[in-house]
Amino acid sequence: MLRDISFSLSLPSSLAITGPNGSGKTTLLEIIAGIQRPTKGTVRLFRDDTELRRPWHHETGYVSPRLRLYDELTAQELIEFTCASRSTLRNRADEFLAMFGLTGHRKKMLSRYSSGMAQRLKCILAFISEPPILLLDEPGSNLDREGKEALFRYLESVRSERIIIIATNEKEEADFCGERISLG
Amino acid sequence: MVKTIIAHIKKDFRIEFRNRYAVSVSFSFAFTTTLAISLAAGGIPFSPQTHAVILWVIMFFTAMSGLAHIFVREEDRGTSLFLRLNSPALAVFTAKLLYNVLLFFVLQCMILPVYLFFMQLDVQSPLFFLGYVFLGGIALSSSLTILAAIVARAGARGALFPVISLPVSLPVLWVVIQGTSRSLGRAGFSSPGDMVFLLAFSGTITAVSYLLFEFVWHD
Repeated sequence: MLRDISFSLSLPSSLAITGPNGSGKTTLLEIIAGIQRPTKGTVRLFRDDTELRRPWHHETGYVSPRLRLYDELTAQELIEFTCASRSTLRNRADEFLAMFGLTGHRKKMLSRYSSGMAQRLKCILAFISEPPILLLDEPGSNLDREGKEALFRYLESVRSERIIIIATNEKEEADFCGERISLG
Repeated sequence: MVKTIIAHIKKDFRIEFRNRYAVSVSFSFAFTTTLAISLAAGGIPFSPQTHAVILWVIMFFTAMSGLAHIFVREEDRGTSLFLRLNSPALAVFTAKLLYNVLLFFVLQCMILPVYLFFMQLDVQSPLFFLGYVFLGGIALSSSLTILAAIVARAGARGALFPVISLPVSLPVLWVVIQGTSRSLGRAGFSSPGDMVFLLAFSGTITAVSYLLFEFVWHD
C-alpha cells in the first residue's frame, strides 16, 4: 500500500526509490509506467495524466524482473520487433548489442540465454528507443560485474538528458542517483 | 501502425512455427475425429445435412483448441506485459485477429482434403462450398479472438472458453451448416443472404471487439 507519496522531477534528474521488500517500490514504478492505476491520486508525465494514459507510449523505457521475453525468438528478432512496435529505427541495435556484450549471441534463441544475458537484453529493449524517462526496477539483478559496468556506463552517458528512476536496495544503484526517497 | 501489426503477425507465426503447438493440437484433433467417424460409419452414406453438421462440429472444436492459444500463451508465459509496454492495444488486437483468421484458414486447408478423402464426399457446388467454409471460418475466428482475449484474463480458462464461445458462435454455425448443406446437395446456391449474414456478423463482431479490447487488455 502506497500512501502520501508526492514528488516531482524535472529533466534531467535521477531518483532512487529504496525500501524493504513489500514496501511498494515496484508498485510505484508500475504506476508511473501506467501498468497499474492508482486508487487515488495522479501521476503526470509531461502534463499527461496517467489515469487516462496506457502503458504504451514513447516516454518511458521499463526494465523489471516481472518482464518476461519470448523464449522462441532470438535477440535480433526481439530487437527488430521492439523497434517496429515502437516505430524506432534499428540503426543503433548493433551499438547496443556491443555495449551489453551480446553481439555474439544475437542469433541465439532466448531459451538458451542465462538470466544475466536476458537481463542485458531487457536493458537493450528498454533503451533502444531512447525514451526520455527510464524506469528501472532492480536493474542490476542477475547482472555480473561486466553487465553492471555496461549498464552504468550507459546510464552515465545519458543522465544529463533523461529522467532516471531506479527502484533498488543495492547501494551502488542508489548512490548513482542524485535524489532518493525511501518507502516503508 | 501497419508496420507494428506486420511485426506482431511475423512474431506470432515465428513462435507458432517453432513450437507448432496450435497447428499440431488442432490438426491432430481434426484428423483423429475425421478418421474415427469415417471408420465408425463404415461406408454408410450420410445426407448432405449430416455431412455439413459433422464438418462444422470438427471445424468448431478445431477452432476451440487452437485459436484461444494466441492470448492464453501471452498471459501464461507473462509476455503480455512486454506487449502492453511496447504496442498500442489496437495494433495488438488487429494482429491477433489477422493471425487467427490466417491460422484457421491454414487449418481449414489441411482439414478439408482430409475430410473429403476419408468421408468420400461429393460436392455439388464446389465454389459455394468453399465460400461458406471460408466465410464461416472468418466469422468463427473473429468471434473467438475477442473471446480468447477475455478468457485469457480470467481463471479456469479451459472450461470457460467453450462455455462462452458456444452462444456467440451458434448463429454462425446455424447459418454456415445450412449453407454448406445446400452446397453439398443438389439445391446449390439459393440466395446470397447467408453469405451476407456471415460477412455482416464478422464485421459487427470485429467492430464490437475494437470497442471492448482496450478495456479487456488494460483493465
